[in-house]
Amino acid sequence: FPLRRKRVLLLRGKNTEAMLDSFKERVGEVLLPGDVFSFESPGSESNIQDKVICGPGLRRNGDEILVCKSGILRHKEPNLYWIDSQQKRYVPAKGECVIGIVTAKSGDVFKVDVGGSEQASLSYLAFEGATKRNRPNVQVGDLVYSQFIIANKDMEPELVCIDSSGRANGMGVFGTGGLLFKVSLGLVRKLLVPQSEIVKDLEKIFPFEMVVGMNGRIWVKARSTQQTLIVANILESCENMTAQQRRTLFKKVAQNAS
Amino acid sequence: ETPHCLVHTMEVEESSTHPTTALREFGCEQNLLSRPDGSASFVQGDTSVLAGVYGPAEVKVSKEIYDRATMEVLIQPKVGLPAILSLSAGHTRFSLFYLCPVSLLLSRRYKASLCVSVCLCVQGPQLLACSLNAACMALMDAGLPMRCLFCGVTCAIDPEGHIHTDPTAAQERESRAVMTFAIDSAERRVMMSSTKGSFSVSELQQCIAVSQRASGKIFQFYRDSVSRRYSKML
Amino acid sequence: MRETPLSNCERQFLLTAIKEKKRLDGRQTYDYRNIKITFGTQYGCCIVDLGKTSRVLAQVSCELVAPKENRPTEGILFFNLELSQMASPAFEPSRQSELLVKLNRQLERCLRNSKCIDTESLCVVSGAKVWQVRVDVHVLNHDGNIMDASSIAAITALCHFRRPDVCVQGEEVTVFTPEERDPVPLSIYHMPICVSFSFFEQGTYLLVDPCEREERVMDGLLVIAMNKHREMCSVQSSGGIMLLKEQVLRCSKIASVKVAEVTELINKALENDKKARYVFEFL
Repeated sequence: FPLRRKRVLLLRGKNTEAMLDSFKERVGEVLLPGDVFSFESPGSESNIQDKVICGPGLRRNGDEILVCKSGILRHKEPNLYWIDSQQKRYVPAKGECVIGIVTAKSGDVFKVDVGGSEQASLSYLAFEGATKRNRPNVQVGDLVYSQFIIANKDMEPELVCIDSSGRANGMGVFGTGGLLFKVSLGLVRKLLVPQSEIVKDLEKIFPFEMVVGMNGRIWVKARSTQQTLIVANILESCENMTAQQRRTLFKKVAQNAS
Repeated sequence: ETPHCLVHTMEVEESSTHPTTALREFGCEQNLLSRPDGSASFVQGDTSVLAGVYGPAEVKVSKEIYDRATMEVLIQPKVGLPAILSLSAGHTRFSLFYLCPVSLLLSRRYKASLCVSVCLCVQGPQLLACSLNAACMALMDAGLPMRCLFCGVTCAIDPEGHIHTDPTAAQERESRAVMTFAIDSAERRVMMSSTKGSFSVSELQQCIAVSQRASGKIFQFYRDSVSRRYSKML
Repeated sequence: MRETPLSNCERQFLLTAIKEKKRLDGRQTYDYRNIKITFGTQYGCCIVDLGKTSRVLAQVSCELVAPKENRPTEGILFFNLELSQMASPAFEPSRQSELLVKLNRQLERCLRNSKCIDTESLCVVSGAKVWQVRVDVHVLNHDGNIMDASSIAAITALCHFRRPDVCVQGEEVTVFTPEERDPVPLSIYHMPICVSFSFFEQGTYLLVDPCEREERVMDGLLVIAMNKHREMCSVQSSGGIMLLKEQVLRCSKIASVKVAEVTELINKALENDKKARYVFEFL
């Protein structure tokens, strides 16, 4: 699911429809910060209630919706809108899974670099099966795949490696091997879409393991160093390719690999 | 082989109805540096400026401001030490320092820093205007939430009282007054002005009106170059 | 600002890859990244790109100054390398970091101490007026091997630079604008170029032109400055590794090949620029 934060707008009446029409008209267009969608006087009453969900890049400002990032306006039924942009810097959001690098151990917590504006904290106890006695084996410099449970402007961001029922659910410290690299947040979102074309095509070439963090970090591990490097380089080059170019590249790589 | 960035130049036509809003060729390239979160180069006539933006990034405790994000603007002149800024470079730094927070929606994000680093690659007459444009494109590239865009327009008034937008170095030398305005994209209001020389109130008003008209072309150029960049994703 | 820390996983992967003679971007051990040399509109402005990421800008400028007392007939060369924050979040403004001092020293040793520029030709009036040639190098994007990129950019910018022509009549010095008289190039004897070698596992493995992540896991660095006549201009080893005589000799052999290639590239770029300017003037 490509959305991070959801902002729900409750709109009433005819104006809503007018507004939705103006939105729909521009889906797929490139918008710039400062572009505005306005819906006029809120006077006219009607009983229809409509929800518009604004994703990243869109903000509500009184009676208007303001575009605050440059990118392409995307839409998903019924009323979901967001701006698809190519950003590098990550801003933590609650519930998102990221790849962090442990930078320090202090007291009962690990400090973790996630690429945001602050280091996140990760408790010793937030691992599956961890107790006061049985501490997880995590060293400085290790990678952890974890989820934000606190991410807001007023508090220190906090990560956990367990889900609500206390299970690891795929999270935790990474094993040895593999390569970590950084891509844009836009590409990460493309890879995380269920049935992502890029991932499907890549899996056909040769088997590999991959972990994708919402913070733009990707970890891959294939059978050999050579194959890991190929996967990493292909993914990095997907950043600036059209779907057509990508297919040609994948074909070429597949021929060479076999 | 695909280039990892885009070069886009556009010739802005002289409009026949307002001959004074003629602007020279622009060029812009976004996301051309791999390290900063956002980067852009902007070429305008003989002037060329490169801007890089980091943020929202980690802030040092000593620099933290309790209620807003910390802003840092660094100007790097091409010749000479960055610590000793020329008057115009210093002015650029000052302008960006106050302009960026106005156009950005970062008011509530404290405990974060924002660093705008500007390298003046070729110093020409419209250093300030060009730096503002480069910085705006870099901020956009970094994906920072923005309220509106901004651009810089320079006008010169020659001894006969004619107004020239985007003056050449020679025009600037001979002019009676030179003004640079930063104009916002939402309502075309003046966000900052910098003037040099003497002029009357009506001349100032004329210059503002001319700059506002010229800004439309720059904003259209912004839109065109961003559209080009995203054309691959459509 | 803090630099993203290097994870243990990246470190391990890099070291295994190096042992298997593989590099992140698919290069061979002794391969340079693609070097791209471009010039600005002004004389003496040169941008060097290493691959798609490392980028350095050099600008040469000059002014008339009084000579140094002990050298009344010699012009002055001044080098200044800047690490702006644009290039890497780890570079802090207005701080003399160890890296900055090292790079500046190396650049001076490579270009001033090798006497590649005829400083006597920069004298206008003996004991009174000489040209001070200033080379400003700005690192715009740091993805490893800043030293080689800077040395290429600096020497290319010096070759590209034209100083104003002057005329001395008695005590009076007239400086001509480019419109009055064509500016004159500097007289350059030879072109020293730095080639960096990074060593891993106490010198067992060696790489040419390391990228940023490779630099972060390396044990030591050897920088050899050489010209195309295979004359060494400076050798500097840092990182505290012990190198055998054979290793240094091998590096110098590789360096001579690389320097010949790079010199060729610089000359080609200069020639192309000259042609482009010539066409431009006629238009």
